[in-house]
Amino acid sequence: MTSLRPILASAWMGIQHDIAWTTPPLSVALRAVAPFASAMTVSIIYWFGTTNSPAGVFSPDHLAFVLVGSTLYAHVASYAWVPTVAIAEGKNLATFPHVYLTSRSTAFYVAGRALSAFVISTITSLSALAVAWYVLGSLIGVQLPLTVTPASIAMLAAALLANIPGALGLGFLLGAYSLYASKFEWSLPGYVAGLLMVFSGALFPTSTLPWPVSAGAYYLPFTQFIAAARDALLPGSADYLASMGLCLLGGGVLLALGLAVYSASERKARKDGVIDRRLA
Amino acid sequence: MKARALVRLWSIFGEPLWVFVGMGFPVLSSLAFSLLYYSIGAAGYIGFAVLGGVMVSFWGNVLWSMASQFNWDKQEGLFEIYLTSPASISAILIGMSVGGIIGTVPSAVIVTVLGWALFHPAVNASWGGVALTFGLTLASLYAMGMVLSSLYLTYGREAESMNEVLQEPVSMLSGLYFPVLGGSSPFPLALQAVASLIPLTIGMDALRKTLFYGDSVAQVWPDMAALAVMAVVLLILSSYALKFLENLGRKEGTIAVRIR
Repeated sequence: MTSLRPILASAWMGIQHDIAWTTPPLSVALRAVAPFASAMTVSIIYWFGTTNSPAGVFSPDHLAFVLVGSTLYAHVASYAWVPTVAIAEGKNLATFPHVYLTSRSTAFYVAGRALSAFVISTITSLSALAVAWYVLGSLIGVQLPLTVTPASIAMLAAALLANIPGALGLGFLLGAYSLYASKFEWSLPGYVAGLLMVFSGALFPTSTLPWPVSAGAYYLPFTQFIAAARDALLPGSADYLASMGLCLLGGGVLLALGLAVYSASERKARKDGVIDRRLA
Repeated sequence: MKARALVRLWSIFGEPLWVFVGMGFPVLSSLAFSLLYYSIGAAGYIGFAVLGGVMVSFWGNVLWSMASQFNWDKQEGLFEIYLTSPASISAILIGMSVGGIIGTVPSAVIVTVLGWALFHPAVNASWGGVALTFGLTLASLYAMGMVLSSLYLTYGREAESMNEVLQEPVSMLSGLYFPVLGGSSPFPLALQAVASLIPLTIGMDALRKTLFYGDSVAQVWPDMAALAVMAVVLLILSSYALKFLENLGRKEGTIAVRIR
């Protein structure tokens, strides 16, 4: 209970920060624009490539695979880097000192902010998927397969939850860097999004990558999350239970590693007196 | 203008890591889309993904280092210095653009070299046309950045949210990675017309024609004329918008408010 309270307080602050800068429904709608456009871009590349290339074979199933994958990668990318920005922005706007002066580790703050971002991102990315599915189908005149039943929604929800440990772990690792950095941390979101696009199997199977990169990418918890969540909406695209198991296992390892690194980094940053350093 | 350009150049090249920082998303997104084209049997279009990676570097620079720059300058207390200096704000913005363009070149070069080394995309270029189109595209794109910069003077921290809202849709509508104008576009004519109002759309279309289909200047002159007109119009518009919003901010006393 004593750990839950600071996490919930931070999560509430995160919600206020992320969506209360304007009318909340408008804010949520605006946040769905980027994942929608991103999913449309990837899907149109697939459509354009397969319909204009002699070697390309257009398949609605494959297009749905790409569409769902791109939305899921955008979901992870939009909340995994929040700890970084929460710390960096907190330093700039002088809110972070109020956090590290409290008796608890700033890890609770970081976790709370990531969880609030997870909730917002879940709403916005799933809305983006629904709109993109409709718009894309109308634009190219194809009915895209997408299984939406109580069972598939439950499977998707379970997959989304199973990804939290991995995303939090990545967030803690990036946050540990943010405690020390005072300028380059702003580049991390771009790297996180880009790396997920290439290595998570969101846009193309990891087997497209050269070995041993493909093997490493396959066992990433984010790859397994995307595979499981995609299987919920497009049955038969992966082995759901195996992907969930690997996602939880990899996520657990990443979370433990992230927490250990973050805690050590926080201790050292306090000791070195750099925890609120704004400028290098 | 020269002073502001030099500050930007010094801040980038004085810290070589900034080049590494700036190239992350362009390199990786270009790589991802190249692999996507490759994996679906459309390797012939990988050049589009590489070109998109080059141009997304500049588009990102326009959004994050032009449009929202004055907001950051306000937070750091630099904006008051601009206002009290005898230099015109437009000149400062042009200097910022020149510095931004030169500072983004290394990232664009890295995307090009990596794309070429990894995928050997097929190129059939009319280099004179490519150079002219590229120059005009950047001129009109950065002029748009100047307009956004002036409009963002009225925003506080919302500017960053607005950037996030704009970044991906403009990338999609302008066809950074696939054609959006003409017969191979997935968009209906009305949407193509709207997309044509974005300088990047016309620029990308002309760049693809000159770089991959060998179209000469004589063939793409309408695109070039449109880009030149856009650059001039947007430059004039940004000057008026800056003056208007500066006066408004002075009257309301909000022009130098750092955080709101």
